Amino acid sequence: MAIAVKLDDLLHERRMTLTELAERIDITLANLSILKTGKARAIRFSTLEAICAVLDCQPGDLLRFEPEWDAGEEAA
Amino acid sequence: MKHQSATLPIAWISLRILVILNWLYGAAVLGLLAFTFVNESWFRRAIDVPAGTEAQPIMIGLRAIAALGLIAVPINHLILKRLLRMVETVSRGDPFVAANAYRLQAIAWALLALQLLSMVIGGIGKAIASKEFPLHLDAGFSTSGWLAVILMFVLARVFAEGTLMREDLEGTI
Repeated sequence: MAIAVKLDDLLHERRMTLTELAERIDITLANLSILKTGKARAIRFSTLEAICAVLDCQPGDLLRFEPEWDAGEEAA
Repeated sequence: MKHQSATLPIAWISLRILVILNWLYGAAVLGLLAFTFVNESWFRRAIDVPAGTEAQPIMIGLRAIAALGLIAVPINHLILKRLLRMVETVSRGDPFVAANAYRLQAIAWALLALQLLSMVIGGIGKAIASKEFPLHLDAGFSTSGWLAVILMFVLARVFAEGTLMREDLEGTI
């Protein structure tokens, strides 16, 4: 998917573990792990809000559009 | 909350029994069809073809009906087996899978085939029936039967859409 989740980088910057974040936003570690590894199909606004509130960041810091190699080639 | 209901085990057992009964019905029809060739004169007496009536067209018609009845056996089997698999997915607690949408669609096509068979059988029955040889078959055009076919196609589509929505929901964090 062309949308990359930068949760790992944000956690590293904030010196926070995934388990700690899971506890603070009340989401299971398994679900948060799916989000971190980019395997999620969608993210709820409520989840986004909770993560941004705890990590003190903007949605844009968490998600980034990274065009896939094939898509870039087609555009060119 | 998971509801413990007796419906599913009853449905599963009933379907299993129907699968067996369907094959027994097929074997009986096949036996009957074979017997019309082995001992035709006895068969004519048994079905009481009145004297003076041309028996050959009636025999051909009845054999055709029996042969079409045999075609219904694998179609019935297809429906029953798919229903059985669907009941099993419900028992496992995960019925909203793509496979069940395909199963429903296959059942819809099978029901359509059965309706067409029924109409052909009904037509043959009417063709060979006469005042001297009245033949009443429970076959022919059926409004409720065709309604069931349409309903099944719609349900299959609804199920397919529902399955996609569920997949999306499952991947939503």
